[in-house]
Amino acid sequence: MADHATTYSDKFVYHEPGLQHQFEDMKQQEESVSIGMWMFLVQEIMFFGGLFTVYLVFRSRFPMAFATGSNHLNVVMGFANTLVLIVSSLTMALTVYYAQRNNRNMQVIMIILTMIFGATFLGVKYVEYREKYEDGLVPVAGWNRRAKAESSEHATATFPLETRAQAQEEHKTEGEHVYNNPRGEFQWNEGHHLVDEALKEQAAHPDRHYLTEYEKVGYFSNGQVDDLKFQEKVRSFFWIYFAMTGLHALHMIVGLLLMTWLLIKAFQGTFSAQYYSPVEMSGLYWHFVDIVWIFLFPLLYLLGRHFIH
Amino acid sequence: MQNVDAISTDFIEPKKNYLNNGTTLKSWLLTKDHKRIAIMYLITVSLFFLAGGMYAATIRLELLTPESDLLNTQTYNKVFTTHGVLMIFFFLIPAIPAVLGNFLLPIMIGAKDLALPRINLLSLYIYWLAGLFAIWALLQGGVDTGWTFYVPYSTTFSNTYVMAVGLAVFINGFSSILTGLNFIVTVHTMRAPGMTWFRLPLFVWAHYAVALVMILGTPVIAITVLLLALERFAHIGIFDPAIGGDPILFQHMFWFYSHPAVYIMILPGMGVVSELISNFSRKKIFGYEFIAFSSIAIAVFGFLVWGHHMFVSGQSVYAGMVFSFLTMVVAVPSAIKMFNWTATLYKGSVSFDTPMLYALGFMGLFLIGGLTGLFLGSMGLVVHLTDTYFVVAHFHYVMVGGQVIAYLGGIHYWWPKMTGRMYSEFWGKISAMLVFVGFNLTFFPQFILGYMGMPRRYAAYPPEFQVLNIFSTAGASVLGIGLLLPVIYLIHSLFAGKLAGDNPWMLPGLEWRIPSPPPTENFASTPVVTWEAYEFGEDSGLDLDEARRRDLVTVT
Repeated sequence: MADHATTYSDKFVYHEPGLQHQFEDMKQQEESVSIGMWMFLVQEIMFFGGLFTVYLVFRSRFPMAFATGSNHLNVVMGFANTLVLIVSSLTMALTVYYAQRNNRNMQVIMIILTMIFGATFLGVKYVEYREKYEDGLVPVAGWNRRAKAESSEHATATFPLETRAQAQEEHKTEGEHVYNNPRGEFQWNEGHHLVDEALKEQAAHPDRHYLTEYEKVGYFSNGQVDDLKFQEKVRSFFWIYFAMTGLHALHMIVGLLLMTWLLIKAFQGTFSAQYYSPVEMSGLYWHFVDIVWIFLFPLLYLLGRHFIH
Repeated sequence: MQNVDAISTDFIEPKKNYLNNGTTLKSWLLTKDHKRIAIMYLITVSLFFLAGGMYAATIRLELLTPESDLLNTQTYNKVFTTHGVLMIFFFLIPAIPAVLGNFLLPIMIGAKDLALPRINLLSLYIYWLAGLFAIWALLQGGVDTGWTFYVPYSTTFSNTYVMAVGLAVFINGFSSILTGLNFIVTVHTMRAPGMTWFRLPLFVWAHYAVALVMILGTPVIAITVLLLALERFAHIGIFDPAIGGDPILFQHMFWFYSHPAVYIMILPGMGVVSELISNFSRKKIFGYEFIAFSSIAIAVFGFLVWGHHMFVSGQSVYAGMVFSFLTMVVAVPSAIKMFNWTATLYKGSVSFDTPMLYALGFMGLFLIGGLTGLFLGSMGLVVHLTDTYFVVAHFHYVMVGGQVIAYLGGIHYWWPKMTGRMYSEFWGKISAMLVFVGFNLTFFPQFILGYMGMPRRYAAYPPEFQVLNIFSTAGASVLGIGLLLPVIYLIHSLFAGKLAGDNPWMLPGLEWRIPSPPPTENFASTPVVTWEAYEFGEDSGLDLDEARRRDLVTVT
């Protein structure tokens, strides 16, 4: 039994740096904060888990709509972000490494690098979101770029994404204001050709399945393919995309704030071989945010990549 | 100096205790002492209980007559919603863990404080913030969706402050999560030497199980409420079927938390009852390991039965069958506890002090509540009983007859420890009996009403239901008195109550071996535990002469 307990209120006693009053020794403190941080991460998993479950349910019901939505995400940027985060996890781990070895300068450098990578991630995310705004893919009416077509002859009622390239080809110039979205609504208008293709394939290969049971009802009205209903399902993909990546980005921002605090403390020389627990715990949080992205990226960006021919 | 091994029977109040260790407001609001945090929770939780109770009184007053005459239907909707939200999120979920758990957990395991005292304080701050937010929303006009916030009414059609109350619930969830986190860490790392897992009081086991549920379940309501707020704000199409959403998705996500939430509410109560039954029978609890593991089993199985709230929602019959079966299974660990408590009582030296009256009341009322839950878990019956007063009666039996009564029992039992004063046993017994009689008179008629078909959440009802409703309201007034009396005599005891001394009940628990009220650091020196839990005997150091003089027979 340590002596600290018996002399609690009476005598002065040497405490290891950073030892909180309720603990007997550093080992107990380190163990406690470690379990605490892991429990916190467990509840974060449950938090994101709710959204993952929602994604799972909707995707298994409407794979075609989800695949086509996924194809309109920028996989290059997504992949770049993945690399950025992985490297930031490396620099984070190195921060812990240097803290354990009493190397204050390298700690600070590594934290700064981690923050730079984190900020890069957020920057790329901003660019991606901006792209969605431009393309009319934000699933909230009024939150997309508004544009009024001047002449109604050349304007399409809504902006059909599959044929965006085609539309630009046809009308050759931007000046013809092909894009018409006066109320900034969610734009998706070409669902039916995908469904028609699927139905054709189904007719040609009756033993294979091209549409799920939900899709056989969900894309149709009165036996006909309903573009609006297809749009709803693609819209589901996009709100899930924004909710999941948005929540992740929020956690990244919190992570950057945490890094700022850590940077200040590290600069002041708070951490040493005897006391580096806060660095380790911050590292755990950072790695968690990274690993959530590792799951998000394939689920949102990569599935169904070659689904549409 | 307090020698932990010998149990003192001196009726002295120690000069320096946690209550007078710093008397400024700042020393309370910035405290890291788990006991002070518990007392602040006690005050807040009691205020919310009072507020929720007033809404309940309003409901019962309205239901005296078949017409919707006291309140119009829209106001009535707001009243029962507010009653539900305040009681569930701001009273039942925090009550026992945040008040009794915070106060006693460190003491029961021989620690100076919880593992993370600043997180504990943060938990309290978050609770206060959420509470203020909720009160603001209520003052603005409240919510009328029912505490279950079913969509698409809450996302699209309701004109009330859904987002504000939703966000209050969201914020409150984090208070719950942090408390749970703290308890888990504390039980793992802060146990005194010799305090092995199987020497822990069952109160601690119950709180460990609760903490697991809090950590795993609460984040799901958090994301659900967040999505609800998002949908209401931005009309994205998550839950609203008119724009491509799925309303049943909301129900699944909501109940995935809200079912385990009821286990968050009842498990601490069961922990209290284990303590009360054993200690007031002065007999080692029967089947310690069974009760300990059944708490964990309830925590685990509680996550598998959420669909029993959705039998008539349109979910598949096969899913219904699975949930029905699992609902029957989850009743088993609770039943195991009941049998073990009964076996503990057998041949025990039972003393009918106020806390024991509450514990015995719990056993009877939770039995009825639990059994009627099985009625509701069977698919054939639930079609007729869903959304009727049968459901209302069922959950009030388990939540009020169970949890609130256990909470009151715990408050009375540990009152002398927390305050150093004994309450008036006479008034305690009167209140306990008023609560029991009033409660049954209020809610038993509701079983019959539900069976006869009276729907819940209706301000107006067919006149043939009036007689039973009048009984119910009459019972509510008795219950109200029974619940208000403790406020009076407990506060009175703070000024004029008899000094309790360290161990007024003459019991072997670790919390009874320190002064009442305890000093800030709990133990002068870290105890070394060499005894099993609930050991009544010479070796526990109990002064048997004193016990005999007080007419208490120890049964080993």
